[in-house]
Amino acid sequence: MADNVEEIQKSIKWYFIIGGVLMILSAATVGLSYYELPTHSLNILVGMILATIKASLVALIFMHLSHERSLIYKILAFTVAFAIVLFTLFILSHEDPLEFKGMYAPVEQEQ
Amino acid sequence: MDIPYTVHARPDTGLYNAKIGIWLFLASEVMLFGGLFSAYIFLRVGADYPWPVHDLDVTLGFINTVVLIASSVTVLMALAMLKLRKFGWYRINMALTVLCAGVFMFNKTLEYKAKFAHYAVKLTDGTLLTGHLPHGYQVKFDGVTELNLSVPLKHSAVTADPVSYVLPFIEGTAPKFKTEDGTEITLDKASFADLSAKAVVKAKAENKGSASIKLVATVPVKVAAKPSEIFGYTESTITFRDGTTATGKLTDDKMTLEVDGVDARGVAQSENSLAFDHRYLGEAWQKAFVENRDHHIAKFEKDFPTRDKARSATLQKESLYFKLHSATPPAEGEAHGDKHGAEAHAPAEAHGEAHAHHPTVVLEKKDFTFFSNFTPKLNTYYAIYFTLTGLHGLHVVAGAGVLLYFLVFDGKRLRQDPEHLANRVEVGGLFWHFVDLVWIFLFPLLYLL
Repeated sequence: MADNVEEIQKSIKWYFIIGGVLMILSAATVGLSYYELPTHSLNILVGMILATIKASLVALIFMHLSHERSLIYKILAFTVAFAIVLFTLFILSHEDPLEFKGMYAPVEQEQ
Repeated sequence: MDIPYTVHARPDTGLYNAKIGIWLFLASEVMLFGGLFSAYIFLRVGADYPWPVHDLDVTLGFINTVVLIASSVTVLMALAMLKLRKFGWYRINMALTVLCAGVFMFNKTLEYKAKFAHYAVKLTDGTLLTGHLPHGYQVKFDGVTELNLSVPLKHSAVTADPVSYVLPFIEGTAPKFKTEDGTEITLDKASFADLSAKAVVKAKAENKGSASIKLVATVPVKVAAKPSEIFGYTESTITFRDGTTATGKLTDDKMTLEVDGVDARGVAQSENSLAFDHRYLGEAWQKAFVENRDHHIAKFEKDFPTRDKARSATLQKESLYFKLHSATPPAEGEAHGDKHGAEAHAPAEAHGEAHAHHPTVVLEKKDFTFFSNFTPKLNTYYAIYFTLTGLHGLHVVAGAGVLLYFLVFDGKRLRQDPEHLANRVEVGGLFWHFVDLVWIFLFPLLYLL
């Protein structure tokens, strides 16, 4: 957080504004979840997009990540990378895209 | 000796120690919750039953969301007030934050309690009945005359222990038994230890694998136990969890269920569900069910004429998961659909008076295969729901505890070194925001989508 009085007071105003925006977005998420899109996956996608927007607001503004030091960004870069690997591993173990498709032909058995 | 860089930043990084520390910790927390969210994805994709949508109490969940967002703002305000040296406002905002956490956990308690009291019963044809067990569910035996206990001579996991596994379920205070040699005893720890020792000696002498003890009740006793408290039973025998068997007569193993929902999504012909058998809900409810189902299907065809009915989970739920709101079926044309989820009613229905609003059925044991309250035991959805919200709830308690500590016990630091306290509050606030962040994803995934 900033250290002089004016900046702190500006921040305070923004905290309340963003807090209000978050509550409105939460209400919107609830409402949208009751509106049936062509597939349920679309509903989930919309919900997750809204959740990501809310999470970004919390992370960037509430957690002051928008004006943090570079060391913190470097630490979080590792976090993002590891989190991507975590989810990718799970998805890969469920959906296996690496199928052997004729890279070798099995030896024909002679009967 | 003073630890350097706890109050003022290191010149090279521009950060004080705790800030780096908390971000490293939050990075590890991301992996923790990331793993659990991956589990959620797996379980949902692999579920062989309709994944519950809008089944939880959305209103209560939304209130919790608003409360947590408000607490995120108040903790920031506390930090700002501390930096501006407005100590009174600092304290008020910290207290508000902890209060919000308390409200959140209180709501969570309401939700959890409602689930523990709510039951789902799976019938043999795949129908799921949901409701409450006003009298619990017990298997009752009468005229139990004989107990057969077995103590293995070699080390075994299962060995007779009537004091823990049999006596609690025998009605009456101190049942008296006659041993094989005619002595009358009151069965308790001491007398059983004595009996057991004698029987083991005898069995060793006879070169047997286990010692058996037979006890005959002086007066026939009654046994009542929940199915989970015993191992199994037949018409004439009960086997307790320590291997002891008792002979008697099964008097009652029917389940009295106050039904608040019929989930026919697992049944081929939903109107012929076993739930509407004449012994249970009957024809009137069957009519109401069919009317509700056909109404929703017709509405869907009108609103979305080109969509595939089978692919709409919402339509399947609205038409086949029928909620009962009254003791008798509604007259034709009334009460279509239901805006609340299955769990939304539950808080009110923990009380006796509300039970008058639902029909009661007495299920015969042969008609149901599985039953459970709404806990991890029921299905994978509730397993991941309790895991995720439970772990998140623990984080809320821990975070609130830390903030409460700063509020209550750091008075000296507040007076003498407020800048240091500001750093502590900032770091505690960062954890608090992370907890809010997790909830931002949890709420839609579990309650809405």
